[in-house]
Amino acid sequence: MAKINPDFTKELSKYGAFDPNACYNCGHCTAVCSLSDEQNSFPRKMVRFSVLGLENEIQESLDPWLCYYCGECTATCPREADPGELMMSLRRYLTVKYDWTGLSGLLYRYIGVTLSAFILLALIVVGVGASLNFDLHKIMQYGHLFEMFAIGTVFLLILCPNVLHMWWLTVYKSDAKPKIKNYFKSFSDLIVHMFTQKRALSCDDNKFRWLEHLILVFSYLLLLFTTVFLNWFETNNVLIIFIGYIESIFIFLITFDFVRRRVKKDAEISTHSQPSDWFFVIWLLLMGLTAILVRLAIDFHFIDTFSWLYYLHLIVLVQWALIIVPFGKWTHFLYRSFAIYFQKVINT
Amino acid sequence: MKENRIGVYICHCGGNISDYVDVNKVKEAVENDEGIALSKTTIFACADSNQKEMVEDIKEQNLSGVVVASCSPKLHLLTFRSVSERAGLNKYNYVHANIREQVSWAHSDDKIGATEKAIQIVKAAIAKVKLAEPLEPITVPTVNAVAVIGAGIAGMRAAIELADAGSNVILLEREFFIGGRIAQFDNLCVSNETGKELITRLYNEVMSHENVTLYTGAELVETSGSVGDFKIKIKVTPRYINSHCAKGELQKAIDVCPVKVPDEFNFNITDRKAIYHNYPSEYPQLPVIDMKNCTRCGECEKVCSSIDFSQKEKIIESNVGSILVATGFDPYEPEVGEFGYKTIENVVTLPQFKRIVHYAKDKLLYKGKLVRNIAYIYCVGSRQLDGENKYCSRYCCTSNIYAAITAKKQFGNINNFHFNRGIRTYGKQELLYDESSRMGDIYLQSFEDLPPTVESVNGKTVVKINDYLTGGKELEVEADLVVLVTGMVPRKDNSIEKLLKIPKGRDKFFNEIHMKLRPVETVIDGVTIAGACQGPKNIMESMNSALAAATKSFSLVDSGELAHEPIVAIVNADNCTYCDLCSQACPFDAIQMIEYNGKSIAEINNSTCKGCGMCIPVCPTNALDLTSFTDKEIFSMIDAIANHS
Repeated sequence: MAKINPDFTKELSKYGAFDPNACYNCGHCTAVCSLSDEQNSFPRKMVRFSVLGLENEIQESLDPWLCYYCGECTATCPREADPGELMMSLRRYLTVKYDWTGLSGLLYRYIGVTLSAFILLALIVVGVGASLNFDLHKIMQYGHLFEMFAIGTVFLLILCPNVLHMWWLTVYKSDAKPKIKNYFKSFSDLIVHMFTQKRALSCDDNKFRWLEHLILVFSYLLLLFTTVFLNWFETNNVLIIFIGYIESIFIFLITFDFVRRRVKKDAEISTHSQPSDWFFVIWLLLMGLTAILVRLAIDFHFIDTFSWLYYLHLIVLVQWALIIVPFGKWTHFLYRSFAIYFQKVINT
Repeated sequence: MKENRIGVYICHCGGNISDYVDVNKVKEAVENDEGIALSKTTIFACADSNQKEMVEDIKEQNLSGVVVASCSPKLHLLTFRSVSERAGLNKYNYVHANIREQVSWAHSDDKIGATEKAIQIVKAAIAKVKLAEPLEPITVPTVNAVAVIGAGIAGMRAAIELADAGSNVILLEREFFIGGRIAQFDNLCVSNETGKELITRLYNEVMSHENVTLYTGAELVETSGSVGDFKIKIKVTPRYINSHCAKGELQKAIDVCPVKVPDEFNFNITDRKAIYHNYPSEYPQLPVIDMKNCTRCGECEKVCSSIDFSQKEKIIESNVGSILVATGFDPYEPEVGEFGYKTIENVVTLPQFKRIVHYAKDKLLYKGKLVRNIAYIYCVGSRQLDGENKYCSRYCCTSNIYAAITAKKQFGNINNFHFNRGIRTYGKQELLYDESSRMGDIYLQSFEDLPPTVESVNGKTVVKINDYLTGGKELEVEADLVVLVTGMVPRKDNSIEKLLKIPKGRDKFFNEIHMKLRPVETVIDGVTIAGACQGPKNIMESMNSALAAATKSFSLVDSGELAHEPIVAIVNADNCTYCDLCSQACPFDAIQMIEYNGKSIAEINNSTCKGCGMCIPVCPTNALDLTSFTDKEIFSMIDAIANHS
């Protein structure tokens, strides 16, 4: 027995541009969606849950993560209700609901809070730099230590509990009681989907975008590895330096293209950009850009004159690692792949 | 005896007949019979070319009778009658033989048998045409006046239309105020005019016509006669208040009246006095004393000089040529316990809800409690799975959505939940459905076999549904007010139906002769129907049917005389002993007893008799016959068939 809550759509509207009152249940969206089948009316079921404000049902559902926003439903909707954007809004909403700290909620809903957090972190970085008398070498060492520390902490304290929370809502609370061995059997799916986003290919016929995304993911992960574990900024190994350049150039180019699309709004997926989308893609772009500049400054020996380049990179890095990765859009990397994994676990 | 010169035409009907019946064989079987002057087969007897040929044949051959063997007489009897007329032959000297519906279509498996049967039928028709007498139509004078029963929108619209066309109209309203159900409506879709404004407009138009006479508190109590000249008796109940009196005094009289009764105009959600009007500025603008509830305490007489208890009921007699019935509908009254009606406190019907919204000021309160969540349950009393009301009431979806929107706009902060079975806001009314859903109204749907339920749980009213639109998921809403969207049912008061003998359809509303071909006529000649007494209609549809019925009634009364088919029963005065059996058998009250040559015999009223023949077989002395179907003719037809086989 579920209770209808007509006020929910007001809450949901903070996460995106869906018009819940436009839907008149014609089912066009379901007819065109490649994910819908006889059991699961995709994305109409989610539209209906949202209109009726069935929060428990939404939180227990994996469906929003399975949608890769091809935009077919939105293009077909005769009432311009924009079901594709609804699924996007639900992903933002779920990201907030999975987060045990509640900070995601503040960041997603209040742009002022987000900006304040960004400024605060920038000031802290400058403050720490000042306390070290802007000794570049020392600050670089601290920066490197921070990276290692941040990865471990964010992973253990935020990301792991949140994925567990997602599991608790979507698998544990559901009627399906999967056997333990299913978790092992399906594990390969988790890895494959996490690193390839294979599922997106069956949704969207834009193969180029998928390839860009794939390269971006790998470049990002490798750059992370190169800077943290191979200490890119302080190494003298030419091969490592070269690889780092390649990775950051790819990150810069692809994120630049993504920003361009969001500005041009040339596909459904890039039509409605929320602050969280902009922060994600712009900060990734800045990461790539500042990383290249810092390394260039080191290689051409003008880092001492342009030491602010490194401070800038560090500020971007700290903001990225402490805001966007744990509480922002970065988490979709995990939730999407875990959703496919959990679904496989349930259905096997 | 006259010389028979008969023409016989056997039709192929393209192949409809000739594929199964050997039409040439039929022709050969009759062409040499006595009295046959001409026999032909034709591909399409009804075709223009053949009709022209028939006219020439009749003239040239000087035919005394014609038979066409073709389709059902329902289709082309009149066609060939008029062919005869055009050729100068009396149209009753034409006889139709049906060899399509009764032969070729019925016996497509047996061509030889079919041909034999066709021959018999044609021979029988020839036998009949030999005896056929020329007849002239019976004409009756008509009174150019129409009684319109019911001064709701349909009745008033029809009255105006008839008066415009030049008929005298007697407009009868049983209530003391005109307007019917529409007076109870606020804003109307799509015009945004209120119901009161609409009826005021119609009332002013009615009153500006000299040839409309309006009676309120008036009931039709007796009718006699038939189409063209009905004699009607009207009982008029007085208002017990003189017109021409000071307004202030009347208000005082209402104020001092100690009697309080539930106000039916407001569907019992408010009370009224024994001296009352339904709402201020209502037409006629004179209050009335309801004698059923008046205690004759005399308080009103003390403050108002216009009260007059000496007024008496009046009987008015009049003659009209046609009666137009526009008595409207009753809203469906749910059974006790149906979706919690009368068992759960905050369950009301749609008409009640509209009055609640009408009387609410800035907040929507019901029994003192603020209303925020409203659940509307659709199709209550309509489209019933088990009950008798199988029909859709047509107006309720639109009416309810409009009321829901109005409430939301007027009071804000209201959540509307529509528990429907598929919304039928057809035509322009769809805009309302759109507006309502754009305003955030929630629609939940189920089918008739699994309707929503209304329960009282811990003092809260909970509506549950297995929502088809959410994959059959069980959902619930806590409602502050449950509105049962009730449909239309026929008027409880069936006095008109009994008086005029108007037949009812399966839905218990008055029945037209044919939904499409004769949509406003009843089987009672001269009685037409309009508006929701005929079946659920919205205002626009009621207006359309009112105009159609007015036109039909006008066509009956306007020319001053009316031609009837001369096929009627005739009485042989010598044989008749007036045993009364025939008048008991007559469904049209067309037989009366008269004195003739010192004895009682039956007399047929030619303008009421329909020639149905019901009286003929019951007569023990064989004193009755039917023109054009006389015993002699029928016997000769039987002989023709028997002799051939």
